[in-house]
Amino acid sequence: MIGSGPNITAILIFVAFVAASLLITWWAAKRTHSTGEFYTAGSKITGVQNGFALAGDFMSAASFLGVTGLIFIGGSDALLFVVGVVVSWAFILFAFADRMRNLGRYTFADIVAYRLQPERLRMLAAAGTLTVAIPYLIAQMVGAGSLIETLFGLPYFVAVLIVGGLMTVYVAFGGMLATTWVQVIKAVLLLAGVTLLFLFAMAQFGFDFDALFAKAAEVHPRGQVILRPGGLYDDPISVLSIALAFVCGTAGLPHVLMRFFTVPDAKQARRSIGYAVVFIGYFQALIVVVGFAAIALLVGQTEYVDESGRIAGAANMVSVYLARVVGGEIFFGLIAAVAFATILAVVAGILLSASAAVAHDLYAKVIRRGEISDRAEVNVSRMATVVLGVATIGLSLWFRNINVGVLATIALAVAASVNFPAIFLALFWKNLTTRGAVAGGLTGLVVVVVLIVLSPTVWVNAFGNEMAIFPYSYPTLFSVAAAFIVTIVVSLSDRSDRAVTDRAGYDAQVVRSELGER
Amino acid sequence: MADEAEILRNPDFQELLRQRSRWRWGLSGGLVGIYLAYCLVGVYFPDVFARSFLGSSIPWGIALAYLIIALAIFLSILYIRIVGRLLEVPFDDRGSRQ
Repeated sequence: MIGSGPNITAILIFVAFVAASLLITWWAAKRTHSTGEFYTAGSKITGVQNGFALAGDFMSAASFLGVTGLIFIGGSDALLFVVGVVVSWAFILFAFADRMRNLGRYTFADIVAYRLQPERLRMLAAAGTLTVAIPYLIAQMVGAGSLIETLFGLPYFVAVLIVGGLMTVYVAFGGMLATTWVQVIKAVLLLAGVTLLFLFAMAQFGFDFDALFAKAAEVHPRGQVILRPGGLYDDPISVLSIALAFVCGTAGLPHVLMRFFTVPDAKQARRSIGYAVVFIGYFQALIVVVGFAAIALLVGQTEYVDESGRIAGAANMVSVYLARVVGGEIFFGLIAAVAFATILAVVAGILLSASAAVAHDLYAKVIRRGEISDRAEVNVSRMATVVLGVATIGLSLWFRNINVGVLATIALAVAASVNFPAIFLALFWKNLTTRGAVAGGLTGLVVVVVLIVLSPTVWVNAFGNEMAIFPYSYPTLFSVAAAFIVTIVVSLSDRSDRAVTDRAGYDAQVVRSELGER
Repeated sequence: MADEAEILRNPDFQELLRQRSRWRWGLSGGLVGIYLAYCLVGVYFPDVFARSFLGSSIPWGIALAYLIIALAIFLSILYIRIVGRLLEVPFDDRGSRQ
């Protein structure tokens, strides 16, 4: 724990955030009765609101705490992530926004199932959603547990219970409406917090960027090396894999895709992603400065960084330590509370996408074949939320020592290798068939999991073997390629009756995807 | 209501599809291409990115990262404007511009 005794500011701000979010949940619960209201807030969210909510969904603790930690360790190589994030959002806007909004209703499965055999595609999409959502949820909750333990001195299991319990309440009672507003508030808090952190840090250097970077390179144990590429990754395969994980992975995250359907039409969908690009770009631009400021101001302070450059607690604590150094106890409490609120909002969004996959795609559409009343489906969604929430809490307590980085890699890699190829080819390639999409999706899933198990992070660090069988940390270059190749080859060689229907449906889909519902 | 095949044959709709796909793939291909190029220059020519940006202690690698972020934001706003204008003229149910 940092400081003497619990930080009162942090506790006050956090309690205020929780109180506000519970009030919103209560307000939203009274307005959430139908499936449309539960999954997509009745598609009545405006472009600006959804822009904030998208940014809130995406700016996780990984981007706030993880990237600054990465800059601290690896210097400018972390820019691969920072730039990749912004590029991926602009890519989503250019390539997907309109068509996705025009074709879908509740989940991205609506798009891949539009002209293909619906049950099989929904099962694939649900598998893709859950293998993204569950590792992602566990990663965030384990991270939150350790963060709160360090910041507030609360035991790990209490922290996990608080985060898990609150996220379940938001989603189960307030559905998408509550989740959206929790995201909006969190996004505003996070953007404001990072802006202040940036200003306070820059004030230490008289707002002279030149001086900041010069000092960072001077004091870092690795010196000038942190200002040149190669600090973390120096082979093209790893770098391209990371780039692909971002470009394709973000466009395959189910909780992000679900947000497309909370706005009334394609125009608002475009606008909301435009806002998201601006907010996320602004955030990423500041976070780079914050990362280098952390190097310049924390190195040499033995309370936070030891002689060899190791950070007290964990690498992802540098932002909060920096807040304490530049802004004192009150500001430290504010940033700590913002970090906590960030995690809470992100897990709520992911949990909602997971319960929609179970209740809508699997139960209502596959098991009941659509023969289910609206009210019954909402009840199933709420039950699925509670079951998934409790399961995640249990898993997070069980896997407390799991490597959070591996889980986050799995989530993004599965999104890139299972969901992205299916969505991309369903939208733009006439010859895609049911058999091809399913074969390609399963290939992507298997390749991701196998390569991550054989990679250094699991095979060497977790299993204690000497040499990794697969030498790279990120599998995406291989898994995305495998998924695309298998999907295309199987689709082209598919001579089934279903394939004829699949291809014939493309024309109608194009008209609908460009002009919307007529 | 006209069926989809008829709308697809409509020259107005075909023109819309052509323009939309030009902007879609032009912008996303351009931006993703620039990003991949940025990644690869960093791998193969790290010295270039380590060089000082206009004599400051900020290296080219970081300066370019900021330029790409600014470009992504600029292109996004441009895209929303342009595509909004392409679609401003509503289409009737035969796929003709009204």
